[in-house]
Amino acid sequence: MRKFVPGRIYFFLSGVMLLCLSCAPQTCYENTDAMVNASLYLNSSGKLKAPDSLTVYGVNMETNKLVDKIKGVTVVNLPLDAAATSCTYVIRINDINDTIRFVYDSSPHLVSKECGYTFYHNLVPDSLTYTKHKIVSISVSKSSITTTNEENIRIYY
Amino acid sequence: MRRIYAYIISVLFTHFSMISPLVAQDTIDFPLKLKIGLEVSGPVEYYTNKNILKTEGFISADLDEKRTVILSAGFVNYKYSQYNYDYLNKGYFLRTGVDFNLLNPEKSQGRYWAGIGFHYGLSRFTSETPSFSQDNYWGTTASSIPTRSSWGHFLEATPGIKTEIFKNVSIGWAISLRILLYTGTAKDLRPIYFPGYGSGGKKTSTEISYWLTWNIPFKKIMVITRKPAPEESDDSGDNGSAASQPATGIRQ
Repeated sequence: MRKFVPGRIYFFLSGVMLLCLSCAPQTCYENTDAMVNASLYLNSSGKLKAPDSLTVYGVNMETNKLVDKIKGVTVVNLPLDAAATSCTYVIRINDINDTIRFVYDSSPHLVSKECGYTFYHNLVPDSLTYTKHKIVSISVSKSSITTTNEENIRIYY
Repeated sequence: MRRIYAYIISVLFTHFSMISPLVAQDTIDFPLKLKIGLEVSGPVEYYTNKNILKTEGFISADLDEKRTVILSAGFVNYKYSQYNYDYLNKGYFLRTGVDFNLLNPEKSQGRYWAGIGFHYGLSRFTSETPSFSQDNYWGTTASSIPTRSSWGHFLEATPGIKTEIFKNVSIGWAISLRILLYTGTAKDLRPIYFPGYGSGGKKTSTEISYWLTWNIPFKKIMVITRKPAPEESDDSGDNGSAASQPATGIRQ
């Protein structure tokens, strides 16, 4: 009978090779920011339309604008303050200021081992308040604010 | 009366001595073993990386020359830290299932194993995120997730090889390919790592393990390694070609 010895050298080398293959570096590739995705609609036509000029910043954060006099933007992403239960944004559409106040709950969410945790939010029903200088109305499409790229509110102006 | 008995015995003897060449078959004595093993890479890894302590052992028993029933248990103490969070997980796990040796008995001889195991795993663990932080437009928010206990369930397929290096002592390695069934936690707070499974943030995980095994033979079985030659037909003059077909079977 032929003796079956796979070769101990090959045996050990195969194991060492596997050990090396297991040392792959890890990097965060996922989106870790849960933001309110707000679409801008022209109220008269009911269609998605970018304003001629758009500026967005948080209240008391005028020096750090999210968007500053930008053209051609139909969707703006608004991060919420996880350390608070509400936050307010100033939205300047065609040089006319409005404010939008979000009230929400926050809960931690694991993105991945590589990326760590983020906060998901849930808008409290009927809590969205806003001024109506340029904005005509706002509707909530999806109240759960996650890292997926889904529309959360529609701003009609 | 004595002559009648003698006649019957002689007839039977003659009969079996005539048919015995037709049922000739190759057999080998195959040792069934009780095996006790220890995973050796966990303690070695702990000396280089104090953030993960893995200990695991198993006990298994050969059912026959192909199948082995196995039960393994282990303990894991896992710590992970990176720039935006710290994570702790500690707990125990059990795995049970059947290993199949794909080598034929002539080659394995009870000393070599190359095959695959199919196991179910159960894990009991506590996890905690002492701190994590998130940066966004509004600044940095720091928080923590308190300790919670969970049961995790998973399935695994484990191809690998083992070879005897000394009498009744084997070494080997195996790749564990695991599918997560349930982490026992809320979807948003899946464990980053849990005992027995590995990276709990993913639906599948892979891990390599290295085994040192002590084998205790407890029984020998006779395994047929070559089937008996089929009875030759009247019109066939060739009875050698069929007899040369190798096959395996078992006779206890």
